[in-house]
Amino acid sequence: MSENELFELEEEDHTGRLTASTLKRILGLLRPHWRWVVGFLITITATAALDALFTYINRAMIDQGIAGRSIPTLLRYAAYYGGLQLIQAALVFGFIYLAGILGERIQYDIRKALFNHLQELSLSYYSRNAVGRLMARVTSDSGRVSSLMTWGLLDVTWAVVSVIASVVFMVMINWQLALIVFSIIPLLLVIAIHFRKRILAEFRWARRANSQITGEYNQTIQGVLVVKVLGREDENLKDFSRLTDNMFQASYRAAWLSALFLPTVQVISAFALGAIIWYGGLQSLTHSFSVGDLHAFVSYLTFMIWPVQDLARVHAEMQHALASAERIFALLDTPPEVRNRPGAVPAKTLRGVIEFDHVSFAYDDGKPVLHNLTLRVEPGETIAIVGPTGSGKTTLINLLCRFYEPTQGTIRINGRDYREYTLESIHARIGVVLQTPHLFSGTIRENIRYGRLDAADAEIEEAARMAGAHDFILTFEKGYDQEVGEGGNLLSVGQKQLISLARAVLAKPDLFIMDEATSSVDTLTEALIQRGMEALMKGRTSFIIAHRLSTIRRADRILVIRDGRIVETGNHVELLRKRGHYYRLYTQQFLLEQEQRYRLMAAPSTLPAD
Amino acid sequence: MTAMSSSIAYFDFRLAQHRNRLIGLLRMMSGYRLIYLIANITLGLSALAKVATFLLLWRFADTATGAVPPFAGSLHRSLIGFASGFVVLAIVEGGFAFLSSRMAAYAAENIARRLRNFLFDHIQRLPFVYHSHTPTGELIERVTADVDSIRTFFNEQAIGIGQIVILFVVNFLAIWAISWKLALASVAVVPIIVVISAWFFKKIGQAYEKYQEQEAKLSTTLQENLTGVRVVKAFGRQQYEIEKFERENWQKFLRGKKLLQIHSLFWPLSDILCGFQMLTGFIYAGWLIIQGEITLGAYPAYVGLVVWLIWPMRNLGRIIVNTSTGLVSYERIMDIVRQEREPPTEGRVEPAGPVRGKVVFENVSFQYQNGHADAVRNVSFTVDAGQSVALMGPTGSGKTTLVNLLPRLYEYTSGRILLDGIELKDYPRQYLRSQIGIVEQEPFLFSRSIRDNITYGVGRDVSQTEVEEAARAAAIHDTIVSFPQGYNTLVGEKGVTLSGGQRQRIAIARILLKNPRILILDDSTSSVDTETETEIRTALQRLMENRTTFIIAHRIQSVMNADQIVVMDNGQVIQIGTHQELLAQEGMYRRIYEIQTRMEEE
Repeated sequence: MSENELFELEEEDHTGRLTASTLKRILGLLRPHWRWVVGFLITITATAALDALFTYINRAMIDQGIAGRSIPTLLRYAAYYGGLQLIQAALVFGFIYLAGILGERIQYDIRKALFNHLQELSLSYYSRNAVGRLMARVTSDSGRVSSLMTWGLLDVTWAVVSVIASVVFMVMINWQLALIVFSIIPLLLVIAIHFRKRILAEFRWARRANSQITGEYNQTIQGVLVVKVLGREDENLKDFSRLTDNMFQASYRAAWLSALFLPTVQVISAFALGAIIWYGGLQSLTHSFSVGDLHAFVSYLTFMIWPVQDLARVHAEMQHALASAERIFALLDTPPEVRNRPGAVPAKTLRGVIEFDHVSFAYDDGKPVLHNLTLRVEPGETIAIVGPTGSGKTTLINLLCRFYEPTQGTIRINGRDYREYTLESIHARIGVVLQTPHLFSGTIRENIRYGRLDAADAEIEEAARMAGAHDFILTFEKGYDQEVGEGGNLLSVGQKQLISLARAVLAKPDLFIMDEATSSVDTLTEALIQRGMEALMKGRTSFIIAHRLSTIRRADRILVIRDGRIVETGNHVELLRKRGHYYRLYTQQFLLEQEQRYRLMAAPSTLPAD
Repeated sequence: MTAMSSSIAYFDFRLAQHRNRLIGLLRMMSGYRLIYLIANITLGLSALAKVATFLLLWRFADTATGAVPPFAGSLHRSLIGFASGFVVLAIVEGGFAFLSSRMAAYAAENIARRLRNFLFDHIQRLPFVYHSHTPTGELIERVTADVDSIRTFFNEQAIGIGQIVILFVVNFLAIWAISWKLALASVAVVPIIVVISAWFFKKIGQAYEKYQEQEAKLSTTLQENLTGVRVVKAFGRQQYEIEKFERENWQKFLRGKKLLQIHSLFWPLSDILCGFQMLTGFIYAGWLIIQGEITLGAYPAYVGLVVWLIWPMRNLGRIIVNTSTGLVSYERIMDIVRQEREPPTEGRVEPAGPVRGKVVFENVSFQYQNGHADAVRNVSFTVDAGQSVALMGPTGSGKTTLVNLLPRLYEYTSGRILLDGIELKDYPRQYLRSQIGIVEQEPFLFSRSIRDNITYGVGRDVSQTEVEEAARAAAIHDTIVSFPQGYNTLVGEKGVTLSGGQRQRIAIARILLKNPRILILDDSTSSVDTETETEIRTALQRLMENRTTFIIAHRIQSVMNADQIVVMDNGQVIQIGTHQELLAQEGMYRRIYEIQTRMEEE
């Protein structure tokens, strides 16, 4: 959470410029809902005009009704006033309803478009963009753009119409005085914009400090055992108080800057008021300035603060909203790198020979990861892939799953370039178990069903049995309907692995791909996982990135990968005989393990006859 | 209690506890009450200046219409006086208003700052048992969102209510000065406005909460989809995910619509109420003028004043509703404040030097909470100084709980644990913990530089040479210098992502610097890529030399060299002995051994 916030803050520092093409695309978002837009623009325009008209009516009430000592006239104007009040209330209802709901709707549209597009984008896009950044695009950028297009547009319309209407009425009353009021508007606007920018900047500092505080709370609470055992409480508090000091500085400054704005503007208007009093007073000697005029000018003048403030706010927010819009459009414009070729056909089965024909691969940065890889796998074979971190094991798997496609060379399934098949048909026949199992919020049943959506409950249980997950699932009070929590965090690592195995079993894949977990689980769970893997490997081609000796030995063939090349292949015994890379890796990695085991074997006759 | 350097804004909020939440909040203000009082007085002065502006307007209008004679002989000459009067009053009004807000913000931000500091300190000093029972998310929610609503309470609500009340009183009195009948006629609907807006804002608050809930749900759906992109793609579940997101997204739209419907009813409705109240006042004022009871010049002043009588009332409704949020937050924060801290220095015996490291467990039992089953039951065994003991057993058998008793992260409920012949409870926690080092299964690193993580909690200045020495001994130095920023590389979100093995070796370097007599290794080798296992093993062996070591492990290979192996199940010790001895017995150890051997053999 705090990570996402950091991304947001970082990006908020960027401001966008209004270019014709961005503007066109933003307006394009409004097009499907143009009736709503026209509706709220009309209602807000009428509302603003009425605001100015009320003062004008009040002036008539004073000069013709009250000063004219005519109660019927007074009541007549009052009736106008009241009637218009009712109309304005209806208009207010209209624009809040229209603009507000339209804002929600546009946000909904943007989010939908972004999410749908994200589903199509290739894995390479995800490896270039942190999840936090993508989250910010969908959650906050969409909000900022939709609110600019509705409330922002509405505020600007209201402000502009209000100013124009007020000026028109003022000119109708007394053009000299109107000039005085009109002349201070630019000054007010400049000051307001300046204030807004400063205040916005301070608030951003405060938010930054706040997210640092949250982050510090978070890690201290999560690492409280370390804090306690290392006795670091006093120093921690000292470090933390620096963060709260920053927060204090920023939010205190933001608060008093905000508090300074209104008085400043009011003092400036007071000079204008003084001028009106003086000039109007002079005119009153010639009876060309009435009490109604006085009232009208005082009202228009004090009212002017609000449109000015609104304009300044929208101006400040617009730049950030434009930057958000640019980021949103950039995401939507990114084409997926891996997609169906024209004329691609569904693969009927993946049970067949799989060939890597001189396959090379490099990520975007141009750094080659796999070099000229050639490999032929017979149906039903189990392939174990071993090698040091960064040697290209995961890339190999990613190519096989067609998360990426080779930069050079071809991967053939059943003798046909796999790019001639549709992506969906390949993915529908692959079962994948990842190193860190990923589950979704929901029940255990829902998570297993992810493997095959139309599976019946009985099939789910059968898959769980085969994967060795059934027994522990039944220990839960709600059994298969147990909630797994966000990301499955209510379950242990071992339990998550078993469920992801069951999910892959249910998919009945033609091809099984597994990145074996390195994290520790207790022996019984470990044994269950091994059994589940066996169930999956039986009768189907399997690729396993292996860490456990038992898995490696069970494989029909071992690929030793180093620096993106297959340096050795063969089964365990063959490779050991070669005394090459595998032998070295094996002796280094498993030496201790083995030595100790042989020592055990030699230990007094307590060994089981296995 | 805590040695606090004077530069840290700190206040013991345990003094702010009270049954009555309002009194409790008042106590939280301790030290800033005077500033608050002055802020309110200044606010009053500002309101007086505002009212004076309208009274001056009244006087001016009367003068201009000839109802009263000009104060400076001629109208012409008086005009300058009137004009500058308005400017001066505006400056006075604005100046005081600014001062008042500034003081209120100062007080509120200070209260929030010391509350944050206090809570941070308090939480890290609460017993570990509290942490193991409280979800992090919930605690974070309280120290961020609830502290923020307390801050809002002091910054906006406490001063806001004062502002509205003062404005109301002063403006009401000013209108009263024009005509008492007019004053009474101007406030008829005020109570209704307050009640209606309070009711609406309550509804709005509820709808908003539902809206936010859905936003959170949507965000979880999104996050799970993005982090699980490989699973989504591998199973080809894009369409399914799109439908799932669509459901949540649409639901969010509906809740937003609901929220806006309430808004779109409230604002025009309250507009009508306020507008008609004003209109009634206008008509009545006009009638009074025509009757000759008040002058025509009073009218513009009245219109100016009555605005400040009516419109703020909508806000009052909102503030009253929001105040309840502040009260709830007070309660939620006090739930944390009420928890007892562990006293760090309390204890009878504090040896000058390090302990030797002989540990004796005598019939030790522990339960997390009264009435719960014992997590550790009747455990007895002895570890000589410098010896190693391995703990084995299934998940949940009580191994980790048992070792957590040593640094007194948990307090055993019965029996005794003796360290060098003295019971643990007699050592001050601070001293005891300085003698013990823990390497966790998944070591926790802080998002600071690698160097800061290695020197974390050493409690003295450490030279770079020393840090590097420790890192070398932990077999992590080469990795660290391979990063562009070397030891200054940041760990975590904004820096490098370290592998499990790298994290572990940094944790080992940290312990090497701390140099404790007793070591606890929680499954330290099994979560590591096999390639690095050898390096870690070497580092660990270096670490274990001459220290009493407790090892928790799942794999036979990791425990067989220990001087003593303790097998636990269900909180009890079921087997104890050396590897050879345990293999010779029928029992769990041999069963685990057999399973592991079979897994390797197949």
